[in-house]
Amino acid sequence: MGGHRPGWLNGTLAWATVIYLILPITIILPVSLTDQRFLSLPYERLSAQHYVTLLTTPAWTNAILQSAWIATASTLLAVVLGTLCAIGCWRLSRRSTDLVRALMLLPIIIPTITYAVGLYRYFARLGLLDSFTGVVIAHGVTGIPYVVITVSTALAAFDPRLESAARGMGASLGQTLRWVILPRIMPGIVSGAIFAFIHSWDELVVVLFIASRRVFTLPRKIWDGINENLDPAMAAVAVLLVGMTVLLLLMDLALRRRRTG
Amino acid sequence: MSAVAGHALSLQRVSKRYGDFVAVQDASLEVASGQFLTLLGPSGSGKTTILMMIAGFVEPTEGRVLLDGRDITALPPERRDFGMVFQGYALFPHMTVAENVAFPLRVRKLGRAERDAKVRAALDLVQLDRFAERKPSQLSGGQQQRVALARALVFDPALLLLDEPLSALDKKLRAELQEELKALHRRVGRTFINVTHDQEEALSLSDEIAILNHGHLIQVGAPETLYERPATRFVADFLGKSNFIEGEAEADAGGFVLRRGAARVVASGAPRAGRTLLSLRPEKIALLPEGATEDNVVEGRIASWSYVGTGYALTVMTPDLGNIRVHLPAWRIPVSPAEGLPVRLGWARDAAVAVAEDPGSPVPGGVA
Ligand SMILES: Nc1ncnc2c1ncn2[C@@H]1O[C@H](COP(=O)(O)OP(=O)(O)OP(=O)(O)O)[C@@H](O)[C@H]1O
Ligand SMILES: [Mg+2]
Repeated sequence: MGGHRPGWLNGTLAWATVIYLILPITIILPVSLTDQRFLSLPYERLSAQHYVTLLTTPAWTNAILQSAWIATASTLLAVVLGTLCAIGCWRLSRRSTDLVRALMLLPIIIPTITYAVGLYRYFARLGLLDSFTGVVIAHGVTGIPYVVITVSTALAAFDPRLESAARGMGASLGQTLRWVILPRIMPGIVSGAIFAFIHSWDELVVVLFIASRRVFTLPRKIWDGINENLDPAMAAVAVLLVGMTVLLLLMDLALRRRRTG
Repeated sequence: MSAVAGHALSLQRVSKRYGDFVAVQDASLEVASGQFLTLLGPSGSGKTTILMMIAGFVEPTEGRVLLDGRDITALPPERRDFGMVFQGYALFPHMTVAENVAFPLRVRKLGRAERDAKVRAALDLVQLDRFAERKPSQLSGGQQQRVALARALVFDPALLLLDEPLSALDKKLRAELQEELKALHRRVGRTFINVTHDQEEALSLSDEIAILNHGHLIQVGAPETLYERPATRFVADFLGKSNFIEGEAEADAGGFVLRRGAARVVASGAPRAGRTLLSLRPEKIALLPEGATEDNVVEGRIASWSYVGTGYALTVMTPDLGNIRVHLPAWRIPVSPAEGLPVRLGWARDAAVAVAEDPGSPVPGGVA
């Protein structure tokens, strides 16, 4: 690539920003390895004891499993609904479908807390409060925008003549969808799924509102832990959360790389 | 391939309007079974629109489409069973060549063995058997085009629709594939409907050419007929090049004579009178050597000339008939051309044909 080299001011600023963004995450790592029994940096040596606690305490493993389940189920929900919505809008492609697409983005435009309050009232009436299903639905619906965005982007790059070609050769709508459209937009769907999963995996605000005793996701467990006692296991959980997210993002990056490369 | 003949297709007074813009106006067309028909016209003349109405992707505003006498106007494209090569091929990029070609068979739920055999036969037909496992992106333009052809032919459609299948190729490759297309048509004996704006392609491939302009079907006929007997000024100008001479006609013994100022041009054909437009092909005019004579002789001076490989293209300025374009093979030119050189032009009385002016203005609704 041509273009100017960034000046030193630019470079410094950029690095400062990066450090500012990453520092809180990097602090978590040493803290999680502390040899003390409270939140602190390691005094004498590094210790994995808190990771051991994490993986042997039923309360923590339970939370990890719950989070994983909820994230998986809500991702499935978001992917199916988001993909169908994006394809529907794309096929009709009228002015009204732009509106539908904009509506589908609402969950990430509206402040989460507003959304959570609304959900709380709504779910109370439906008896979905503090239920697994309730959280899955809430996370699934708020995950839809990510899928709609990535799938719509993939569809914008889809050559509509391929659909015509398939139909011209006698393919039904279902066959065209299965054999031509879905394989072409699969990278977009996978990207959307990854973002929807991450979204559910570290979502806290909605869970705080609609869960009480039965549903304990990982972020909620950390939250409660911070309020009750300063157990360094929380730092270990945080590392786990961040690690999972980074892993998924890298996966997305690798997929994109493979697609363009 | 089996011995089933191709479909016969007919368009009956078909029109297509978008709002008040007329893309195709009152087109009627008969395509006989096994024929190679080309829709020829400039960009925006409605060729793709007509092809898409035949394929079923565009619904006519008026008129009917008949297949072997059966009305198929309302039949959706996936139930018409036509083979189709799209402008730009529209190969599936995520499938290999073999999978692309197998697609229509997969749709028709053919058994594995039969499918493989047919795919192999189709790839053999277009000489691409060695490329079966490649992705379309790993093929050259000409190879992709042949994959598109194989895919359109593999399920043995009785009608094949081709939308500018060769337009993306360079001149030499295009000529090669034209040959292949023609040979293919002879081998499979199906009905082919081809779209192009390349007049040479139309002339060399087709049994029949339909000429379109501004959504109007101007003239349909065999290539020789269209070239030798163009019906209108547009046809004469679009298919090959032409000089136009306008004047007052009156009947004479061998046909008619056209007067323009002091000049007299004799022409054969049905006697006619009144205002007449003559089309005269540049290659039908000779440079007369000293002492030679012809039915028509006009004197002038060479205004410009260029060497075009197959011969010379001259523009001759004549006092009576204005600029006349002449195209001569090098061996038929008795002088070495130079600007300002006086020459005598001659042509036989059956060289020029009377053509009609085109139906005045473009289609109402406005065309750029
Ligand atoms: N969906 C549409 N809406 C409005 N106008 C259209 C539509 N499709 C085609 N047209 C118009 O109809 C006219 C004929 O289009 P068509 O695609 O048939 O041209 P063509 O002869 O195939 O041209 P080309 O050689 O450039 O492919 C054009 O003026 C085009 O702008
Ligand atoms: Mg076209």
